[in-house]
Amino acid sequence: MVYLTRKIEFSASHLYHNPAFSAEENRQVFGKCNNPHGHGHNYALEVTVAGEPDPVTGMVLDLKELKAILEREITERMDHRFLNYEVAELKDQIPTCENIARVIWKLLEPKIRQGRLHKVRLYESPDLFAECCRNGASQG
Amino acid sequence: MKDGLKMILGRRYRFAASHRLHNGQLSEEENNRVYGKCNNPFGHGHNYVVEVSVSGTVDPATGMIVNLMDLDSFVEREVIEAFDHKSLNEDVEVFRTIVPTTENVCKEIYQRLKQFPLAKLERVRVEETSNNAFEYAGEEIQDRATGH
Repeated sequence: MVYLTRKIEFSASHLYHNPAFSAEENRQVFGKCNNPHGHGHNYALEVTVAGEPDPVTGMVLDLKELKAILEREITERMDHRFLNYEVAELKDQIPTCENIARVIWKLLEPKIRQGRLHKVRLYESPDLFAECCRNGASQG
Repeated sequence: MKDGLKMILGRRYRFAASHRLHNGQLSEEENNRVYGKCNNPFGHGHNYVVEVSVSGTVDPATGMIVNLMDLDSFVEREVIEAFDHKSLNEDVEVFRTIVPTTENVCKEIYQRLKQFPLAKLERVRVEETSNNAFEYAGEEIQDRATGH
C-alpha cells in the first residue's frame, strides 16, 4: 500500500458561539474565539489517499485529478469565506478544527475514485491540527 | 457521531533544555564512542518540540474533542514546567538513572500524559532539532503495528 499526500492552503474566518449557552458560558468555553466579529486563520490541509500504484501509470491516483477535486470541493467552498455563514455544511456546527476536518472528509470521500481516502489533517495554525480517519485504520 | 470516523487533535508545545548522554555502566572510552559529542561532560541543549495527539468523540455542544485550555494546562503542568529551562539529567528525577536520549524523553512524556483524563492519548512526537524526530504510541499499539 502506498500513501499519497497532497497539501493545500486556504484562508477563512470563523467564530465559536453556541446559542444554547449563556453569554458568560460562551466566553468561558470558547475564550477569544467567541469574539462576535470573528477572526481568521491560514488553514493548511493535508489529504492522504491510500492505494496500490496502477501498473501502467505508476500512480495511486492522478495528482491532477486530486488537485482539481480539492480546488472544487474545498478551496472554492472555503477559501476567503466566513465559515459560520458561508459554508452550508458547517451550518449549526461550531466550526472548530475537528468539525471542519470531518466536513472535509465527508466532502472528499465520495469524490475519490482511485485509491481511497485515508486521512485528512487540517492545521489551523502550525501548532494545532485535527485529523480524521476511519476507525481502525493504520497510522500510515 | 456514529459515522465510523476517528477524530484526533494534535497540539505542538516547546521547551528548551540541556542534556548529556552518558551511561555510568560504560567506560569513558565506550561513552565517547557511543555518544560522541553528546557525551560532553558539561552537556548541551536543544529547543525541543513536543507534538501531542489525543483522540475522542467531538462534543456537539462545543465542537471539540477536548477544550484546548484543559489540554494546554495539563501539558504545561506535567511536562513543560518540569522540563523547560532545565538540565534533564539533573532536574528530572527519571533521568538520574536512564540516559536522556530523545527516545527516552519521548517515552517519559508519553507516560506523564497518559493520565490525561479528558481524552485518549494517541501518540507523542518529540523533535530534538528540525532534523531529528521520535514518536511513541505506547507498547500495545507499537506491537500491533510491527505484527509482534
